[in-house]
Formats: sequence, structure tokens, C-alpha cells
Amino acid sequence: MAKQKETPSKRITTAEVRMYRMGTGDCFIIKFFAGTDNTFTMMIDCGTWQNDKEHLTEFITDLKTYVNKTIDVLIVTHEHKDHVYGFEVCSDLFLNDFTVKNIWMGWTENDNPGSSGGPLGDQVNEWKKKFGQHKMALSIAAQQLTTIFSGEDQLKQAQSELNGVAALSIRQGFADVVNQFAELHLSATDNDDAINYAGGLKGMNIVKKNLAKNNITYFQPGQIIENIEHAEGIRFYVLGPPTSIDAIKTESGPEGETYSHSHNSEGADNDAFATAVLNLGVPQPPASLFPFDKNYELNTAGTAPTAIEAIYEKDAWRRIDHEWLNSAGSLALRMNSATNNLSLALAIEFVDSGRVMLFPGDAEYGSWDSWHKINWSVKGKDGTTPLTTAELLNRTVFYKVAHHLSHNGSAKKRGVELMNHPDLAAMATLDYGKISKGWKNTMPNHDLIQALLTRTKGRLMIMQEEGLFVDQAARQTPLHDKIIETRGQMNSTDKADFISSYKENRLYLQFTVKA
Amino acid sequence: MNTLTPSQSKKPPFRKLRGYSFDPALSLKIDTAPISTIVYKVRWEDIGDHEGCLKPGPVGEYVEVIDYDPTVKKFYTPVNLNDPYILAQDGLDPSESNPQFHQQMVYAVAMTTIQNFERALGRKVLWAPQRLAQVTGKRTPYEEYIAKLRIYPHALRDANAYYSPQKKSLLFGYFSSAPADETIQMPASLVFTCLSHDIIAHETTHAILDGMHRHYNEPTNPDVLAFHEAFSDIVALFQHFTFPEVLLSQIRKTRGDLTSENLLGQLAQQFGSAIGSYGSLRDALGEIDEETKKWKPKVPKASEYRTVMEPHARGSILVAAVFEAFTNIYKDRVSDLMRIASNGTGILAQGELPPDLVNRLASEAAKAADHVLQMCIRALDYCPPVDITFGDYLRAIITADSDLVADDSHNYRLVFIDAFRRRGIYPKGIKTLSVESLQFVAEPVLGPDAQNALNVIGEFLRGYRNEIMYEQDRKKIYEITKKHIASYTNMTKTGLHGQILEKLDNSFEFEQLTGLILDQDWKKLGVNPSGASSDDPSFQIQNLRLVSRVGPDGDQVNQIIFSLVQRSGVRMNDDGTFAGHYTPGVGEVPANGFEFRGGCTMIFDLEKAQLKYAITKPLLNTDKLAFQIREIDTGRVEQQYGYQNNDTMMGISDYSHYFGIGASDALNEPFAFLHSH
Repeated sequence: MAKQKETPSKRITTAEVRMYRMGTGDCFIIKFFAGTDNTFTMMIDCGTWQNDKEHLTEFITDLKTYVNKTIDVLIVTHEHKDHVYGFEVCSDLFLNDFTVKNIWMGWTENDNPGSSGGPLGDQVNEWKKKFGQHKMALSIAAQQLTTIFSGEDQLKQAQSELNGVAALSIRQGFADVVNQFAELHLSATDNDDAINYAGGLKGMNIVKKNLAKNNITYFQPGQIIENIEHAEGIRFYVLGPPTSIDAIKTESGPEGETYSHSHNSEGADNDAFATAVLNLGVPQPPASLFPFDKNYELNTAGTAPTAIEAIYEKDAWRRIDHEWLNSAGSLALRMNSATNNLSLALAIEFVDSGRVMLFPGDAEYGSWDSWHKINWSVKGKDGTTPLTTAELLNRTVFYKVAHHLSHNGSAKKRGVELMNHPDLAAMATLDYGKISKGWKNTMPNHDLIQALLTRTKGRLMIMQEEGLFVDQAARQTPLHDKIIETRGQMNSTDKADFISSYKENRLYLQFTVKA
Repeated sequence: MNTLTPSQSKKPPFRKLRGYSFDPALSLKIDTAPISTIVYKVRWEDIGDHEGCLKPGPVGEYVEVIDYDPTVKKFYTPVNLNDPYILAQDGLDPSESNPQFHQQMVYAVAMTTIQNFERALGRKVLWAPQRLAQVTGKRTPYEEYIAKLRIYPHALRDANAYYSPQKKSLLFGYFSSAPADETIQMPASLVFTCLSHDIIAHETTHAILDGMHRHYNEPTNPDVLAFHEAFSDIVALFQHFTFPEVLLSQIRKTRGDLTSENLLGQLAQQFGSAIGSYGSLRDALGEIDEETKKWKPKVPKASEYRTVMEPHARGSILVAAVFEAFTNIYKDRVSDLMRIASNGTGILAQGELPPDLVNRLASEAAKAADHVLQMCIRALDYCPPVDITFGDYLRAIITADSDLVADDSHNYRLVFIDAFRRRGIYPKGIKTLSVESLQFVAEPVLGPDAQNALNVIGEFLRGYRNEIMYEQDRKKIYEITKKHIASYTNMTKTGLHGQILEKLDNSFEFEQLTGLILDQDWKKLGVNPSGASSDDPSFQIQNLRLVSRVGPDGDQVNQIIFSLVQRSGVRMNDDGTFAGHYTPGVGEVPANGFEFRGGCTMIFDLEKAQLKYAITKPLLNTDKLAFQIREIDTGRVEQQYGYQNNDTMMGISDYSHYFGIGASDALNEPFAFLHSH
């Protein structure tokens, strides 16, 4: 830092957390202060669900000024559009006149893990390859769905059926949501050469290939990062991504463990589906594509249709040419959860006080659950028993709400219910004006909002409160009113503290956490 | 290929077809391998080229198996079950790698399921007709007859299989497995849902149920979809007891105790383990303990009925109740045998049971299972046409059984009530829980005018009976029934619809009885004018049918049953209270507006030509109706709206959340998303 003063102690005393209001998605700056000196600056993610360059430029310009064009550590939690899109559209702003000293990512982001393949051995390379293929399959299936359901044939057929047009519009809506999921994983512009999928969203590639100068460090759960220059008295605990593929695949827990119990099974995989999609229109598909021996196929090339074919051709309304593509829906959900669980999840501790700031990315239940299985190599606050993850959660005073207040982003018993520190505050990156269509149905989760409001005494800071209700289905009490009401019930000390720590304007919300 | 010429000898009653008793998983384990395949006896469908013969596919009278795989755009050669070589060896060998066997398997199980229904119902199974789009200004038929249910054995690449009410088809998927226990299921091997008896029987039952009650796929309360699932599971489960080899082996294994872990109470073994569970997909008796990975019996909890909302999980409460009723009936039936075999101590000697005892126990189990299944199927005729709850179903079971079996010597009815009670399932609006109070009110007392009108209708229905009684052709049955329902035939008011409008349109008592509106005020209550005459309110008659059954003591039941269904457009306030009406189909649906349905199942006793039961889900508020005030049943309206707009209550999956597939979207494959794994 340029303007460091020689003071006897440079231990960090406060952290200023700034959330940019670019639209549903994460972009955070954390400035650490020793007294009044900003000695260390972190940036976590830069993404939003949708927005053009023109709109985002204003935010990024402000960000650059705010950090004095220098970031000590940049963290990219996971490869989803709402966490990396900013790097794509505003790449010129990041690549010019901007310094990133270090980049931190989860161990799964390492594209050249060496022969060992990281904690999971070769298994992970295999899995990542498959994962890439599934992303491609999702993208192709999404395109197919759109093409089919917007086609003339479908409309004509729909018009001839009772409620056909209404049913078609439901299917078109379904195709839209699948497409948005595909977009979350794969840049739209990459779709043309999806077959040559090289790995990832453009934003992520820009960070890895252009922004990074051989300075990316990949972390595994259980690692503790300390003694960082200019961040005295700060310790980073790496919680996730988990090192078990099962944990990565797990989106929700047993009943009572997440804020809504979901019925999606993690067990089934979509390999057979992905194989079929990837071979659509391939002239000489591999034998592994086919479930049965060639001899069983009805060979009617050049002959008149057989009786069975005639039956199938006869009634268009009973045909099933495209129904199978709907499996793209379950594929999309699985991809989504798995990628969320790949989030680099960090607990940032002020060592002297033991107060913790939790930045979990978008981790879902499988990741939260795995945190509790970590054997920490340091002692807990009492100095005798080993540290537990539960203790870190107990000491959490700032929580970046995972996955935009969705039901599966925050674990219940193993997460939020352990956050019982009286000073707890939370920030959530949800903006109903800029959000994927499908997400509106799961965010915000009513029970999670209630729990956070109670636990934070109203120190719940949401990117954009407009359009949100306490219960989204009932649409009765606006969430804003409820938050104000809850804040009104704080005692005078808490109230004064909150007012002095909190800052809000058009571009960002900001909250100061005491060490 | 038809080299066999029909000969002088008698036609065989059955076609024997080999198939998996459960699914291919059993054939890999040494203890279950001997019972992994069985011979299905399917009613004979003739050889020949004329209509009604079994063609390659198989394409028969009830089903057509079309083996088109859209994921690779290929047809697989259809199996010809009349091929002499195939005929001579009871069908093709069970095989996972031969798609022709897959076709044979779905045909055999679907037909077996249909036969079980026809036997219990005493009439032919008809599929739900295809509703047709109405062209404005043209009088187009309302619906079209569907002769054959279509079955696609390889339609999807997903751990999913479903009945499509739109396509009148069953779609089966296949997928690569991801088992939790790799010693049982090979990882990444292909699993075919069309090879599972349970899945085929379950989906076929969905289709049959849709043919009987078309509104049961509209989730108007938490029980409706759960009922569809539960009922389909019940049929699949009790079909296990019709396989003698399987039954004997399981009686032997459990030493006659059917409440311990056994295959009979489990559904879809292979599917369950292939999607990463440790056991079957569902189990009516027990569950795998998450900690120990060991099977343990499930203890009924009254709270579950209040809290569990996801349709399959909620459905399994009903399945468990019915299965418990069965095991208690079985225990009662074999208590004497057990006493004899244990010299009165009730404690059987160690070691294997003697074969004679196993045979006797098996025959009692088969009998009890058959009775329970018949009770469950027969009860469908006594259910309201819309908005069913488990409590309604219990009442239907009790009433249907009381009608047919006067002397309940084995206390079947009490056993059922007890099993439901233990799970907190109580019907609404009854004051005590007993066999008498659970029965629907028989032969409601009516004033002379209404009684006369109903007598005329009773006479009319006798005419219908005479015409249909000996008709075996399903299409003719459909057409005769249609003709009797329709308001007009050649411009004369002949049909039941016309009869009701003419004879009962001023009957206040009839409105009280059915909870539907026929008289004045209907325009104000969001009811459409009838297509037949714009001066009358619209209502539908569904599922007119003749029911003749003979009970075990020779008691005869001869009834005509039909359902009346009426809809009203309702609007709600933002706070979920009732706001007012709109007329469905006229202009846009207003904000917070939906179509609310009421309905009534009318059961006529043919001997007396008299109304026996009117089982109703009223459209009107029946309390107010007593004071001659016609008002919508706002209680039911608000309950339905509250339910359909509450995610937790709906218990719907993430899938539905993200893709916005909610209650109103019955248009878009209601069962596909329910079944997705």
C-alpha cells in the first residue's frame, strides 16, 4: 500500500463490506482497516444475472476508484454467470489500469492439477470431463427445446387440440427457463461451437487466462490461510468446495436440514440423456449410444411404412418425438446444484475477538454438511478443544447469504441455526428486477427470511427490496416494511451501532464489521 | 406372419407369457433368482387378420405397444406374439437386451392389470376419451373414443415413467444407474423402467383411474394427486399376491409373518437401487434406517397426515393404511392355522415351516389380498367426482363393502377404519367413527315432486341397462352410453342430461341433494349457460355406467352410477378471501381467478329404480341452501385457493419451483413431473 504509516500496531480493526447493486448476483469488496488505514482489500466475484455493458460500467468504474485500482486478493467463488459475468462484459476495464495481486479459487477450478488430480485423484478429472459434457448437452437441449416449441408445426398442432395453445405456452415457458439455466453455465456466444467446449464461461476464462498472472492459488477444505502481509490478525478458514463427489451433488438435506425439503433425487444421473443429446445429428454415432443391438432395429429404408410406423404417424397428437428433451429440466437442476457446491466457501476470522465473517459463495446443503466433517488443525476459542465448524458458525457476525435467499442455499440445523451471535448481520444479493424467470419461484424463501430477520434483529441487507414480500406467495406485507419494523425493535445501542455502520446509495450497500 | 390357421379345437382362455415377477434385479441374487420370472396368464386375444386380433407390436384390443425410441429416432421390430415358436414357449425369454421382450413384458403386465380391474368392477375398462378442440360457430363433437392405450416402452432417457393424459399414452424411460451399493447394481448399466412389473402396473392404473375420474389429476387439495399415486401403488402391490411362486417363497422366508421385511410389500427394487437408494423405491411396511442401512418396520404417526404434503410421500400414508388392513385381515384368517401348527401355543417351532402349512398360509394370503384389492377398486364407484380426500375414500370403501357384503364376519370394515384412524385420517363432517356413521346416507328422503322426478330418471336408466347389459364391444358400450347422456338425439330431448334439466330444473331439493345449481341465480354464480340450451346452466354428466356385482353370500348389487360436475368461475381478493365470480370461457381470466368445481356421484338402485346415494362435493353452500339462499361454497373455494397458492402445502419439488409448474398446469403432463427422479 502506498500510504502506509509507521504505527506500532497494524492489526486490523474493522472491515468494510460493500455489495454492489448490479442485479441478482455477487460483487463484493471487503476493505480491511487498521485504525483508519486501509491495509488490505479483497474482491469477491463480479457477476449479475443480466445487464449490458453500459449499465455495468458505472458500477465497475466506481469499484475501481473505491479500491484505488488495486486488489490484494480476488476470489472467484464458482463458475456461474451471476458470479463472473462482469469480467466478461467489462473485461477491458479489468484488464487495463487495474492490478490484481493474487487470485484464490476452489481446488476444483485447477485445470492442470498434475498427475494426482487433487484431493480426489483421477476421479476428479473424469468427473470434470463428464461435467463439461453435461454442460454442453444442456446447452444443446435448451436450443432444441426453443427451436421445437417456437416452430410452426407445433403451433399448428397445438391449435388443433383442446387447450393446445395454452399447453404450448407452458412448454415455451419451460424452454425459456432451461435456456436461462444453460446460460448460467455456458456463455450464449459459446453455443455455436459447443461441441468444442473448452471449459467454462467467458468471464471465468478471462479471469484465468487474462487477468491472472500466474498468481492463482487453489484451496481445499481444512486449509487455514494466515500471516498474510497487511492483513494482520486475520485468518481465513477454507470450508468448501467439498472433496467428495457425493457432497458436491447434494443439493438438499433430509427433512429439517434445509428450508424446504425437496424431492429431487441426487442418485440418478443423466449420462444416457447427455449421450443422446450430444449425438443429435451426428452422422456416425458411436455404438455406445444405442441401447440395443442393431439387429433389433426396424429396417425400413426405402420400403413402405410398416403397420407399426403407420400407427405412429397417424395421430400427430399422440407422437412423442420431443417429450424426452424435457429431461433437460432435471439435468439443469443437477448441474446448477453441483456448480453451486463447487463454491469456494470461506470463514474470515478476526483472530483476537474470534468474530467471523462468512462468505460461502452459493454453497448448497452438500457443501454445508461437509464443512462439519473438517478436522481443523487449530484449537477453538477456549484454547483446549479442537476448533469445530459449528464454533465458527456460532461466532459469525456477518453472513453473505448463499444463493440469493433460496431455500437450498442456507443449511438450517447445520447452518443458520448455529449462527446465534447477538451481533449477526446478513447481506443478500437478490434483485427482483434483474433475475432469472425460474428463480423467482424459489427466492426468497419465506422461512429463511423469517429466521434471518429474527437472528439479525433486522440487520438483513438485501440488494433490492422492491417487489419482495415477507411471503412471496401471499404478497401481503412488503419485506421492506417488515425489515424496518424489525429494526425498530432493536435496543438503542444496537440501533445507533447499525445506523453508523450501514450506508446505502444507488450503486451499493455497505456495512462495517468490527474486528 | 400367420402360419397357424384357426382350427376346430377350442380357443385357449389364456395366452401364457413369461416375464419378470418384479424386475431384472431379482434374477441376479441367488435367493430370489428362482422367483424372478413368472408366467403371466393374459386373456386370449385371437390370431388372425380381422379386427380384434392381436397384431405385432403387440397391438391388441386394449393396448398398442409402439416401440419407437425418439432419442435415437429408431423403431425396434415389433414382437409377433402369434409366431408359432414364440407361442410354443410361452413368449420370449426374459431378457434385458432384447427390446422385443420389453414389448412383451409391458403388454403382459398392462393386460394383467386391466383384467384385475375388470373383474373387480364387473364391467369393461374404458380409457379416458380424447377431448376435442371446439371450433367457434361449428358444432363439433365434444370428445372422441379412444380404443387403445398407447404404450411407448422406450420413450425417454431418464429415471422416469409416466402416464400422459394428453396423449393417452404410457411413456417409459431408461437411464444409466448410479447405485449406492455397487455390489447389487452395476454402476452405469442401463436400467429400463418398462421391465418393472410395479412401474408398469402403477402407470397402467393411472390410465385406468383417469378413465374413471378425469378430475383426479387436478390438485384441488393435498390428497388428490396423492390418491392417484397411492391407488396406483396399491394395485401394483396387491398384484404381487397373484403370483403363486412369489407368494410361497415369501411366506416361507418370513415364516408366515407378512409384517416382516418381504418383497411383496416393496415396489420397484431395481429402480430404487439404481437411483442411489439402499432399498426399493417405496415400501408399504418399513424403511431402510439411514444410520444402520438395515430394514425396520414403519410406525404409523398421526402427525404425518397433517404435515407430509409431497404427493408420493403422502400417498404412502394411504398405501400403508391399506396394507396394514390387509396384514391384519391375513393374521385373523390364519390365526386358527397358526394355533394348530403351534399346538395352541402360538409359537411356531424353529426351522422351516412344513410345506402344507406354507401352502395353506399362501392361499389365505392370496384370498385376503384379493378381497382387499377388490374392496379398494370397487370403492372407486362410490367416490365423489372431484376433490377427493383420503377420508372420502375410506367412506367409499366402507359403503361399497356394506352394499355388497351384508355379513362382515371377518370384520374387514373395522380393520380398515382402525388402520386409517391410526394414521390420523378422519373423514370430514361425521360425528363418530363407526361403520354406520361412515356409510353414506342411503336412500335420502325427498319430497314427492323430487321423488317422482327421480323415479322417472330411474326408469330411464333401466332402459339404458337393458340396452347395455349384454354388450361386450367396448366401442359400442361407449357409444350407447354417450347416446344416453346426450341432451338431444335428432332434436328430441332423450338423454339423461335433458331428463335432468327437464324434470329437475325447478327442484330445490335436488340442489340441496347435489350441491349443484340447476335453477335460478346460476348466471350470478359464474356458471356458463348450457351448450344445449342457453336458458339452463351448464353441467356435465360423466362416467355413466352399469354396475352389477355378486357378493360372497350371493347378494346382488345392480346399480347405475353417474357423476354430475359443474364449474364456476371465482375471483379472489389478494388476501385469499372470496371476491366474486366471472364466467369461464368469456374473455380473459381475471387476476386471482380460477375455475372451481363441484360434483356429485349419483348411485341408482336398479331393483327399486330409486336413488340410493348422492355423494357430493357441493358447489353451493349447503347450509345457506337450507334457507333458500344460493351462494358458492366459499369455504371450499378459499381452502382450494389457499392450498394451490402455498408452496409448502403443495409440497411440490424444486423442479416445479424452478420451472413454474404449478397446480393450474394440469395441461402439461401432471404425472411427468411428479414422477421425475
